[in-house]
Amino acid sequence: MIAVVPHEIHIEPGVHPERDWFGMTVNIDTVVSTLVAGVIVILLGFLVRRSLTRRTDDHVPTKLQMIWEGVVGEVNKQVEDNLGRVHPYVAPLAISLFFFILIANWLEMIPSEFGPGRLHALAAPTADTNVTYAMAIFAVVSCWIYGIRVRGFKGYFSHFLRPFPVLLPLNILEELVKPVTLALRLFGNIFAGGIMLALIAAIPWYFGMPVANILWKMFDLFIGGLQAFIFALLTVLYFAMAGAGHDEEHGHDDDRASGHDNEKTPELAA
Amino acid sequence: MAVKTTEQAITLAGAFVGGGLALAGGAIGAGIGDGLAGSSYIEGVARQPEAQGRLQTIFFLTVGLVEAMFFINLAFMALFVFVLGGK
Repeated sequence: MIAVVPHEIHIEPGVHPERDWFGMTVNIDTVVSTLVAGVIVILLGFLVRRSLTRRTDDHVPTKLQMIWEGVVGEVNKQVEDNLGRVHPYVAPLAISLFFFILIANWLEMIPSEFGPGRLHALAAPTADTNVTYAMAIFAVVSCWIYGIRVRGFKGYFSHFLRPFPVLLPLNILEELVKPVTLALRLFGNIFAGGIMLALIAAIPWYFGMPVANILWKMFDLFIGGLQAFIFALLTVLYFAMAGAGHDEEHGHDDDRASGHDNEKTPELAA
Repeated sequence: MAVKTTEQAITLAGAFVGGGLALAGGAIGAGIGDGLAGSSYIEGVARQPEAQGRLQTIFFLTVGLVEAMFFINLAFMALFVFVLGGK
């Protein structure tokens, strides 16, 4: 099939245009896409706030507001199920991670490469390991600090010796591997999507390139959403595992529509 | 990827074979893992149809984790074939 393909394949994984800032080398296309994704998320947040505080008579929620409230409700429910209350640091962290990673993954769907040798204007920022490692290290270090704060130094470090002290190396390894898998999972998924798009672009149109393009982009949309959800959910679960050790009573019922339990989080009770 | 010497040819061939092995192992593992998760999900829903919503979240979480291994393999395949094969 390679002999039939008329377009050349220019795939260079891991090669980004670089600039030197303060003595460090920076991948400039990742920085630009991260800024664009961040601006889009902040804009969406402001739009939702505007529709929340608008003085209309019937207060019918807009679609964006319903999506945002759905996500916030789900994340609050997960945080509360796992941590015992809607923690004021963990829940907004998980929500921001979800939305930022979602927009960053979906940014790749917009075709923005103007020719084989030219600048790829909107590369997916999560296809660069720098971004994913930064987010994963940030999430896991916050998790460690949370665990030490909730359980104290002795309580937190003694959890490495459970259930058996002979498992100490394995427990330490598991703790150190958490940011690596968190980062590489997101990176691998989005990076593979980008490579596949580049390969599909090399297929001539009479072999069905537009169909393959659309099908793969739909699959990549789904994968991008799924990976954002998994990153946020795993962050919440890591926080819960770091803070576990208290006795939690499971007396609340599971079908709460409001996203929080009124007894445990009285400040959110309407 | 102009190949000039025998050594470069051997490196390229090794890179292709390694990439293929990585993809093969990843696909087998991902297929089996997704199949196991799906079968447990179907069994759980067959026993208790009203648990479908809760089980769906856990199912998609498991699918995401299993597919992650495959995609990490795919990223390494791309590394071997496109970057290390040409050296």
